[in-house]
Amino acid sequence: MDEEQVVKFVETYLKKKGFKQAELAFHDEVQHNSNANSVDIHSDPDLSLLLLSLSQSEDTPARYHEEYRKLRSWTHSSLDLYKPELLRVLYPVFVHCYMDLVAKGHIQEARTFFNSFREDHETVHSRDLQKLEGVLSPSHLEEMEFAHTLRQSKVNLKICQYSNELMMQYLRNTKSTMMLGIVNEHINFQVSPGQPSSISDDAEVVTLIGNSQDAANQINKKEIHWGLLEDSLEERLEKAGGLLSDSEKTEGDAKEGDLDETKVNILKRSVEGGKQGASVKKLKKDKAASATAKVVRPETNTSSIAPRVKSELPLPVIPTEVEQSILEDLRNRVQLSSAALPSVSFYTFINTHNGLNCSSISQDGSLVAGGFSDSSLKVWDMAKLGQQSGNSVLQGENDTAPSEHVLGPNGVKRSYTLFQGHLGPVYSATFSPLGDFILSSSADTTIRLWSTKLNANIVCYKGHNYPVWDVQFSPLGHYFASASHDRTARIWSMDRIHPLRIMAGHLSDVDCVQWHANCNYIATGSSDKTVRLWDVQSGECVRIFIGHRSMILSLAMSPDGRYMASADEDGTIMMWDLSSGRCVSPLMGHNSCVWTLAFSCEGSLLASGSADCTVKIWDVTTSTKVTRTEEIKTGSANRLRSLKTLPTKSTPVYSLRFSRRNLLFAAGVLSKCK
Amino acid sequence: MSIVPKETIEVIAQSIGINNLSEDAALSLAPDVEYRMREVMQEAIKCMRHSKRTILTSDDVDAALNLRNVEPIYGFASGGPLQFKRAIGHRDLFYIDDKDVDFKDVIEAPLPKAPLDTSVVCHWLAIEGVQPAIPENAPLEVIAPPSDGKNSEQKDKLPVDIKLPVKHVLSRELQLYFDKITELTLRRSDSALFKEALVSLATDSGLHPLVPYFTCFIADEVACGLNDYKLLFALMRVVWSLLQNPHIHIEPYLHQLMPSVVTCLVAKRLGNRFADNHWELRDFTASLVASICKRFGHIYGSLQTRLTKTLLNALLDPKRSLTQHYGAIQGLAALGPNVVRLLVLPNLEPYLRVLEPEILEKQRNEMKRYEAWRVYGALLRAAGQCIYDRLKIFPPLPSPPAHAVWRDNRKIVTCSILCEI
Repeated sequence: MDEEQVVKFVETYLKKKGFKQAELAFHDEVQHNSNANSVDIHSDPDLSLLLLSLSQSEDTPARYHEEYRKLRSWTHSSLDLYKPELLRVLYPVFVHCYMDLVAKGHIQEARTFFNSFREDHETVHSRDLQKLEGVLSPSHLEEMEFAHTLRQSKVNLKICQYSNELMMQYLRNTKSTMMLGIVNEHINFQVSPGQPSSISDDAEVVTLIGNSQDAANQINKKEIHWGLLEDSLEERLEKAGGLLSDSEKTEGDAKEGDLDETKVNILKRSVEGGKQGASVKKLKKDKAASATAKVVRPETNTSSIAPRVKSELPLPVIPTEVEQSILEDLRNRVQLSSAALPSVSFYTFINTHNGLNCSSISQDGSLVAGGFSDSSLKVWDMAKLGQQSGNSVLQGENDTAPSEHVLGPNGVKRSYTLFQGHLGPVYSATFSPLGDFILSSSADTTIRLWSTKLNANIVCYKGHNYPVWDVQFSPLGHYFASASHDRTARIWSMDRIHPLRIMAGHLSDVDCVQWHANCNYIATGSSDKTVRLWDVQSGECVRIFIGHRSMILSLAMSPDGRYMASADEDGTIMMWDLSSGRCVSPLMGHNSCVWTLAFSCEGSLLASGSADCTVKIWDVTTSTKVTRTEEIKTGSANRLRSLKTLPTKSTPVYSLRFSRRNLLFAAGVLSKCK
Repeated sequence: MSIVPKETIEVIAQSIGINNLSEDAALSLAPDVEYRMREVMQEAIKCMRHSKRTILTSDDVDAALNLRNVEPIYGFASGGPLQFKRAIGHRDLFYIDDKDVDFKDVIEAPLPKAPLDTSVVCHWLAIEGVQPAIPENAPLEVIAPPSDGKNSEQKDKLPVDIKLPVKHVLSRELQLYFDKITELTLRRSDSALFKEALVSLATDSGLHPLVPYFTCFIADEVACGLNDYKLLFALMRVVWSLLQNPHIHIEPYLHQLMPSVVTCLVAKRLGNRFADNHWELRDFTASLVASICKRFGHIYGSLQTRLTKTLLNALLDPKRSLTQHYGAIQGLAALGPNVVRLLVLPNLEPYLRVLEPEILEKQRNEMKRYEAWRVYGALLRAAGQCIYDRLKIFPPLPSPPAHAVWRDNRKIVTCSILCEI
């Protein structure tokens, strides 16, 4: 190819793209020192071909279709060893092809392109595809968060060296410039030498997250102190062997930034192999220790292993008599394990006329609250609900909240206390740890605090701009966290009407929120399919957990503070290691939305309640232990052991709660049609 | 290009008073309408999830519109879960059945009852991991074989405690219940308490775990208690009650039950030959057999054929005793007139030849003669029923003294058949 030709190509290209200035500058450049800069163009045939194609291409939509089709068939006929890796490239290319077509205004062609290839990705990405299908004009691309972030960011793909070479060679040889362009523009290959990685390790590949994986990795390197609070009641129980120490200790220690090194176990995750190996080994040792400790004296394993941290928040004081009753409960706790399953007491709501949105059970199971779509909040005192149920169930745990039966408007005795005040459906309710307060959140954007002693509304917290989906009291009371449609989570204290912290960062609704056992962190689950962990004191995001394939519906924190469970719309439950930010094991079993999760008090069991009318009990100890050893060897995904499935009689399970004595309470609505 | 056709846009435009919407405008509006629709649905699904439902209602759509500051659509309240019907001829097109309601009917109808107030009831879903069999819990499934647990664990090489093979654990209450029922059946089957027990067997929902034990018990007792008429009758009543219970899946145990039941129908001797009214037991068992066939015949195609084969063999074997013949005839008759027509009527002639000497005065043995007459009576009844059934097909003839004539007819018909033979 001689130089004049090149010049001509460049000119036509610039003209076509409308770069007038550049064209003029190019002209000058060519005329002045044409001999100097032409060397490398000659030497690189690829580049000249690229230029050639750019100047030629007119019929773009058809080329997208054609080139993608070719790439697809090439990938499917590639070597078996490298096929999984190459197949992974197809999805981002597909999505970007579609969006490019839309952006260029070829709506009709975009549709046909989308429909002809969507089946390939339907199994894994059906939800994303549904979203994208609606994008039909360039303005939609801008408007829709998901599409917008996809266009802005690059996808990270792990690929082995050889696959990468194969792919590039193919793209060059077939002059698939469109595909090459997309691959260069939107995919960031992380080329690794050696063998291609296995398919199972695909959590990151599955979700195309708006913010790039890099950012998530960066965030996940931050330190977190997942240990339990110093001087918690459990610890005191062990130390004193049941004797009470003064309750003053709980107070104070506020805002002390630095931490006691001997007590704190800081685990950093690092991408580099050596470091990671070391930390994993450390973990393994830890776990082994815990396993042996468990054999010897199972009742102390959590507290003796879990490191202690100081609270970063000033915490409320627990009254002595309450503390005593809690200690009493702890002494009488039933030890649960895979061999000793819990007893489950089920509260069934009847005659709700499809109006119950949420339910909540107090710590001791004596109070049950239901939030309704008619804006009301109703609280049942199970201790007074007829002798047939109350007495047998409560086992003397109900020493709080002596609320009275209330007479209805026409003098008919109602079995519940009616709280009215919200102006929209009540989406969530939560009891304070002592059962004397209830918080409810509603579509009217407010959160209300109710007293179960006075049976009245005390405070109305305004701050969110959109419906508040979830509200949760902190494990020690006083503070609470809320999650809203306005994409923020907020931290409040009972005595302030304005939020103390606003956690912003999720790309879609924040659907659920949960406190860490040591009150220093909250976790939020969102419709953007991620779970984030936030530092309450600083308001920073300290972890992003990526791996779910649909909206997150519920979260639970293990009592030892090390693990978190999250459940989504599809019925998948994932167990995360907070320190590494990695998924320990996905739990498959439910086939519908999992509304609620709960860890047993010593953390050995996880209970999940689902819309498929079952309560499932999972073994936490074995599964986490297994993964530790196996992670190093194979890295294959593990599943927790499902210990037991308890079917209900056509009653979806809305909430679960382990009492301090490890009795499991569950609540749900009897639905008539199956 | 959009799933909303431009014609729809034009229709909507006309409905709000824009008559001259240009085609271009409609074409460019269509994709946007589709996008907005999807957006609203996305929000509606969120609202549905937060109401902890899996069925989208019009309330959710209203809430979604509300989120977008759009006026909700009025007039589409949904009280209960909607019943979608599939449109005929379409695989994935559904509609809500909306019936026309006459105003007059609505006004004249009595006021509906006030809806019941919401309440909470409490029960044990599980006690130490075991679900008690109470009506509030879902009926227990048939016990799964203890297979998978061990294998999968060994495969995974998990360092965990290996589960023991699943034992069928009966709660203490169920054990007591079983003991009580068996005791009543064995010893006090004529007491009022036994009747209560039968009612309980026919209605209680938590009995499923006991079914294998009951089938076993019945099979054992029938096998060794053929001389005890009272016991046999009590056992058959128990079977009858179990069959009545709607909460029990008895199908898997049917193959164990059937032999005992058939025994009680066609056994040579049931109880004392002279003192006990074994005819009654056979009649009862015949109806039991018929009800089993009726209920499970369509699930087990071979059930009825096998049964009729057994019965027919018993009937046509001249060496069998007359009591056996009687049971067989009753059993076949209970299965319906068609069975009689197809199986009994063609065999009448040879059979009557066998029966004839027994029935006439020649037979010295009084007992035998009595038995023969019983068999004859059963035959008459079966054949009569069959013919009567056939006659019913035709329109009734206008004959004034209907009752008497019918009687006569029946006799005549049966006689004529006999004559033909």
